[in-house]
Amino acid sequence: MAQTLNTAVSRTDAPRKVTGTATYAADVIPAGMLHGALATSSIAVGTLTGLDTSAAEAEPGVVAVYTHENLPDYKSVKGFYAGGPGSASFWPMEGTEIKYAGQPIAYVVAETAAAARRGAQLITADYDSRPADVHMDPADSFVIGATGDSKGMVATKGDVPKGLAEAAQTLDVEYTTPFQHHNPMEMFASTAEWRGDRLTVWMPSQSVRTLRLGIAKAFGLPETSVRVISPFVGGAFGSKAGITPYAMLTIAAAKAVGAPVRLIVTRPQMYTVATFRPESVQRFRLGADETGKLTAFEHIEIAQTSQFDVVTNPGTHITRAMYASPNIHTEQRVARSDTNTGGFMRAPNEMQTFFGLEQAMDELAHKLGIDPVEMRRVNDTDRHPVEDVPFSSRSLMECYDSVSDTFGWADRTAEVGSMTDGDWLVGYGCATATYPTNILASNARVRMRGTGHAYIELAAHDVGTGSYTIFAQIAAARLGLPVEACDVVMGHGDMPVAPLAGGSGTAASAGSAVHDACLRIGRLVAAEVSRQPEGPLAGVSADRITLEDGVLRGPDGHSQSLVEALASTATTEVEAVGEFRHPALTDKLIRATFSGGYGTAGPVTPECAMFAFGAEMAEVHINRWTHEIRVPRAHGAFAAGTILNRKTAHSQLMGGMVWGIGSALHEVTEVDKPRARYLNANIAEYLVPVNADIREIRVEMLEERDDYVNPLGVKGIGELGIVGTAAAIANAVHHATGRRLRHLPIRMSDLV
Amino acid sequence: MRNFDYHRPADMSAAIDAARAEGAEILAGGTLMVDLMKIGVREPDALVDITGLADLEGHDIGMDRIRFGALARMADVADDQTLKTAAPVLTESLWKAASPQLRQAARLGGNILQQTRCPYFRDTAYSQCNKRAPGSGCAALDGGKTNLHAILGGSDDCVAMYPGDWAQALIAFDAEVHTQGPGGTRTISFADLHVMPGDTPQIETILEPGEIVKHITVPVIPALKASHYLKARDRESYAFASASAAVGLEMEGETVRDVRIGLGGVAAVPWRARQAEEHLKGKSLTEETARETGRIAFADASPLEGSEYKIKLGADVVAGALMTAHARSQGGE
Ligand SMILES: Cc1cc2nc3c(=O)[nH]c(=O)nc-3n(C[C@H](O)[C@H](O)[C@H](O)COP(=O)(O)OP(=O)(O)OC[C@H]3O[C@@H](n4cnc5c(N)ncnc54)[C@H](O)[C@@H]3O)c2cc1C
Ligand code: SF4
Repeated sequence: MAQTLNTAVSRTDAPRKVTGTATYAADVIPAGMLHGALATSSIAVGTLTGLDTSAAEAEPGVVAVYTHENLPDYKSVKGFYAGGPGSASFWPMEGTEIKYAGQPIAYVVAETAAAARRGAQLITADYDSRPADVHMDPADSFVIGATGDSKGMVATKGDVPKGLAEAAQTLDVEYTTPFQHHNPMEMFASTAEWRGDRLTVWMPSQSVRTLRLGIAKAFGLPETSVRVISPFVGGAFGSKAGITPYAMLTIAAAKAVGAPVRLIVTRPQMYTVATFRPESVQRFRLGADETGKLTAFEHIEIAQTSQFDVVTNPGTHITRAMYASPNIHTEQRVARSDTNTGGFMRAPNEMQTFFGLEQAMDELAHKLGIDPVEMRRVNDTDRHPVEDVPFSSRSLMECYDSVSDTFGWADRTAEVGSMTDGDWLVGYGCATATYPTNILASNARVRMRGTGHAYIELAAHDVGTGSYTIFAQIAAARLGLPVEACDVVMGHGDMPVAPLAGGSGTAASAGSAVHDACLRIGRLVAAEVSRQPEGPLAGVSADRITLEDGVLRGPDGHSQSLVEALASTATTEVEAVGEFRHPALTDKLIRATFSGGYGTAGPVTPECAMFAFGAEMAEVHINRWTHEIRVPRAHGAFAAGTILNRKTAHSQLMGGMVWGIGSALHEVTEVDKPRARYLNANIAEYLVPVNADIREIRVEMLEERDDYVNPLGVKGIGELGIVGTAAAIANAVHHATGRRLRHLPIRMSDLV
Repeated sequence: MRNFDYHRPADMSAAIDAARAEGAEILAGGTLMVDLMKIGVREPDALVDITGLADLEGHDIGMDRIRFGALARMADVADDQTLKTAAPVLTESLWKAASPQLRQAARLGGNILQQTRCPYFRDTAYSQCNKRAPGSGCAALDGGKTNLHAILGGSDDCVAMYPGDWAQALIAFDAEVHTQGPGGTRTISFADLHVMPGDTPQIETILEPGEIVKHITVPVIPALKASHYLKARDRESYAFASASAAVGLEMEGETVRDVRIGLGGVAAVPWRARQAEEHLKGKSLTEETARETGRIAFADASPLEGSEYKIKLGADVVAGALMTAHARSQGGE
């Protein structure tokens, strides 16, 4: 049997994707389908005083125009951060209140998409406008939730001022990160079809269960009357997690018009009708003795939130787990702004905070005259610095050693501005990456046939990450089948519950449920064959038979392949539902996941702290004439427990680093302050790296064993790659130029 | 997008007739026109697709002048290796523009007539934009974001920046534009084609309704050979210039005999830095004189909030471009 785990397996869905036969949500065209389009508000805050839809209604092809006055009612559900399934707690078109620019104010239904969009352009509105600010005011921030509890939003250990007083060097700095908007290739879309009281919704989703539950609740339907279908997702990154207004409006419009309706949100509208990465301020006060050992660690994060939700992406939970220090204080604060509610974007707690933390460590190392890698080494720890529990596994310095080697860190000359290459200044920088390991309840159903085929079903999601492939691999490895013989079906709301595809938790949690289902199949088949009159395992007590890599083994050396054993049974087929219930999962957490929420037991349990680690290094070149900043090389070494598929994992980590380069040098949503609107809501002006910006990216995945996290030993890798990249680049820019740039993105205008 | 009539005339006179009609617009590759129609910024009643006019295709390199058809594709000209050797600035400025897909679709006539990327112009949700809706005001100047706007040639009514690259090479090297319209044919000096915004920013060129650009010519002069287009941008490809320079040098021994400098990413219209050219003529080309020339090119710049960096960046880019052109004049890269 060829090895199927910890090896490079090409995506099982790749042929379907490249031949265009993978059916994405917007590819489905129900009979009689009409097209939707949104008209959105041009002001940010105020009241709608008039809406003229007559021109839109007169436009050929337009079937109906819905506004807050004639759209069917639905029950508002709460936003994710208020414990509900929505992307935000405020639902547009319920009344005349305008709370952010680009808020939907009317919904046009037409026979063609062009007519619908034209209709939307023809709608004019009058407003009573009030002043608005898209940016938060950090001075107006407040702490989220309870205080005093180290698991809460504030954590204190020891005495930070005392630690600072004892330090040989201190640092008191502030970093800022901008808001960034989601630009997955697949546009936001949703198609709704009502048949009487039964509703089908096709929509790219990171959580079909969350959608089904929320939609059922909003429209007063039993969950069993709602089908949510999302087999393929063309990139999500956090943007397709909750129920968004555009989906709810489409469902309501389809109900009102009496025909299926499909809405494809335009690219500029994608910036306002869904979530985004909030802007943030990261304040650090650090102190260290002359060897670099931290004597004080203080991190206060202030992140942006809306007027109607409190976005809780606690980055300080992660930073305080990184380095040993006797004195620690962290605080998680938010400040309000006149925008839609922000949310998750790849590494929502880590990307911004590590841009701060890892530059701060570099700044302090520089002040102390210590090599930045050594700075991390002297502060490495095998216990969580605040919770005082051991890490389930932590290979941070192994990652640094590996990446130092491939990158050639030893060639770096410490002095600022000391390295050049022709017309280019050269800088090397490094940074730590981490990602918490999330533990979530999951189920999965596996059916196996004696012909050597298996069918795996679960309400999990392949958001482009490779989940179809790794679930097939897990089943193949356990059942002793070729990967191609394992069919995985996902993305339907009525399949066995699997967690929301977020927090890099799918492989670990849903994968463990697939694993468990396979073991159960082994036990069922063992029971059958042990009862048979003849055969290699006949008469062997079933509970002494184990399943190892597709082979049933008895205690006395007798064995039989699972497929053969199954073929010899009367039914020749067997089915089991596997469960992943880590001991750290409380009933409350399990219930949360089963009701569409995110019930994670990670990253710190009463026994362990669970994090994946990585170390990244970047080489930066800065042109002496154009001041352009380029990244000819970025290397990363990562340790994340078992790597199920070395090919898809490599792609995830590399993709994360590419995005990290974009965060460092390109990405920012520009704002028009007086009118509180965005200025570059399109992919010509919202810059992300193009091919020419990405040169050498090297990813190493270290072997690491972790028996605590889950039976597969898997941590998450989906978000890990992005975490250290921006800081590594900023540190390299400092090394090249002596300029400390404490904001993102770093652009040539900063260096002239 | 609003419904419109579509014509694809087979000959020039039919094209002119169709294009002179009220509300009609000319369509070449469509990368600007269709884009602006989709976002509701331009709403023509009719499009006159001129891509059937075969005479306007292609380009050729003569002894005295280089001729570019208005329908030549950006990609075809950018990839011409003979032209690259004879006049690097003319290929580099195309090659560094837009993306491969756009360069395949876009034509040179449309390229020189491209419109600003001012975000307020391109988003009809902003009610103020004198260029889009004359007399409505200027959102950029009314507290808006101006880091990407013109620091040369702007007015109180409009500070939109002309974003194109190739035009900077054309203006620096005295190109001419040959047109045909209802009033017959005419030749326009490239420097006269675009007009400063003043108090009529909606008027961008001197072309009359129905007047079609047929071709563009560039006289062959020694400075073309030692020329260079240097473009500074935040990403390596597919980005408009933060600042750029189209330069060429003719040396006589150690002395600069002729120098050409066009500036991109900084001005309201294609921009020639004549004062800087005059300053450098007769001097030797060193890093010091190159930098000095760069500074003079921006002596009259008036930065807007957030665009101060363009003065220093622009000067450095001019200097860097001159250094490369100088190396080329010495037979090096
Ligand atoms: C995302 C993006 C990025 C870009 N990046 C760059 C860049 O980095 N640098 C750069 O220089 N450009 C850039 N461009 C602009 C691009 O080069 C122009 O859109 C293109 O050259 C226009 O050519 P076209 O044939 O598509 O013109 P069209 O869109 O067909 O026409 C453009 C205009 O010219 C008029 N017109 C066209 N041909 C004639 C003619 N023969 N006579 C009279 N009028 C005519 C049309 O009526 C219209 O007003 C970019 C464009 C996009 C969309
Ligand atoms: S700068 Fe010109 S194009 Fe931009 S908003 Fe002002 S008037 Fe309009």
